[in-house]
Amino acid sequence: MPKKDDTHFNMTKKRTVDFHTPPNSLKYKVGQGGLSDDILSKAQALLENNTTDFRPLGEMYLDSMMRGINAAKACPDSTTQDETIIAAILFPAMQLKANGGMFHYNLVTSISDRLIQFLEVIDEIDPDAIEIVMAFHTTIRAILLGQIRGDGGQRGSDLMNALVDACYRYFEKYPDKKPD
Amino acid sequence: MSYKFDKIRVLVVEDNIPMLEICKSLLLTFGVGEVLSAKNGVDGFDIFCKENPDIVLADWMMQPMDGISLTRRVRNDPASPNQYVPVILMTGFSEKKRVVQARDSGVTEFLVKPFTAKDLYKRIAQIIERPRQFVRSEDFFGPDRRRKAVVNFDGPYKRESDADMAALQKKRMKEASKQLDRLRNKAGLSKGDKFGATDIDFT
Repeated sequence: MPKKDDTHFNMTKKRTVDFHTPPNSLKYKVGQGGLSDDILSKAQALLENNTTDFRPLGEMYLDSMMRGINAAKACPDSTTQDETIIAAILFPAMQLKANGGMFHYNLVTSISDRLIQFLEVIDEIDPDAIEIVMAFHTTIRAILLGQIRGDGGQRGSDLMNALVDACYRYFEKYPDKKPD
Repeated sequence: MSYKFDKIRVLVVEDNIPMLEICKSLLLTFGVGEVLSAKNGVDGFDIFCKENPDIVLADWMMQPMDGISLTRRVRNDPASPNQYVPVILMTGFSEKKRVVQARDSGVTEFLVKPFTAKDLYKRIAQIIERPRQFVRSEDFFGPDRRRKAVVNFDGPYKRESDADMAALQKKRMKEASKQLDRLRNKAGLSKGDKFGATDIDFT
């Protein structure tokens, strides 16, 4: 005879999921109303006017990326499934992407973003892929040395296009490595 | 009236010192009462246990413990003073697989760097106004991962937190009703009349 409360029929329960709604103590503390546009503008101005020099930090991430590139060179034909190899390049790239724009180097962010996209779709770190990563590395270093802040204008756009073209050529050369 | 952020304490866990300072300054500009800080996940968890802050704002990439591992400890470690604390994870990653990875560790909100002051504020407002319920299963404890916006949703908005959407929907329905009345008048039909698309000139 079936029981009404038996949600798993006559089988053993396979999964138990409980839902909890914790008290919203944060709402209780802060109340209502949000923040005024004036406060948000002040906070944004603080971001835009910060004078921290990003270059030492950027150089540190570039050095770290170069160590990753050298490690990848030392392990030819390593795949991106090998997290330690790819992480050594990907993580500094991610840091450059994340922090460049926070410190006025928006071009570093957009170029690093493209590098991350490239690293996320390739399956194999072959010599040609390493060449492309090296091109990204050299370009980012040039931007830092030249102190090209913001999006870099036409020059920035040209640099970005050259790198994107290199990625296209890579995938044209290796059509089987194109992302699905 | 505005939020009384002076009543809350936020823990910022970030190994990049200039970034840590920026986050602290932003939060203080928002009016946050106290901003605690730590330079990695290990120190962050210690401070979290001692101070029990209201919000944790953590970077993903840190040594020796990253933001994901910190979140897991906050959610699952018996020493955690508040397993439900909102955790905002900051990162440069925006690829779906990375977001899913963060979500599966129990992160409440995801903040992609570089971000604006408004981006940070939006995440904080989200955890205040739209807190997620928590799920405990055999292999997961953390905020419900299903807060998903359905773009074509046309059903009623019933939740209190959906007040804005409900108001917008009501406004649209009113406008649609007025438009229908205009078309009926133009075609010389009254409200009770049944009609098909061919009865009305929509031009």
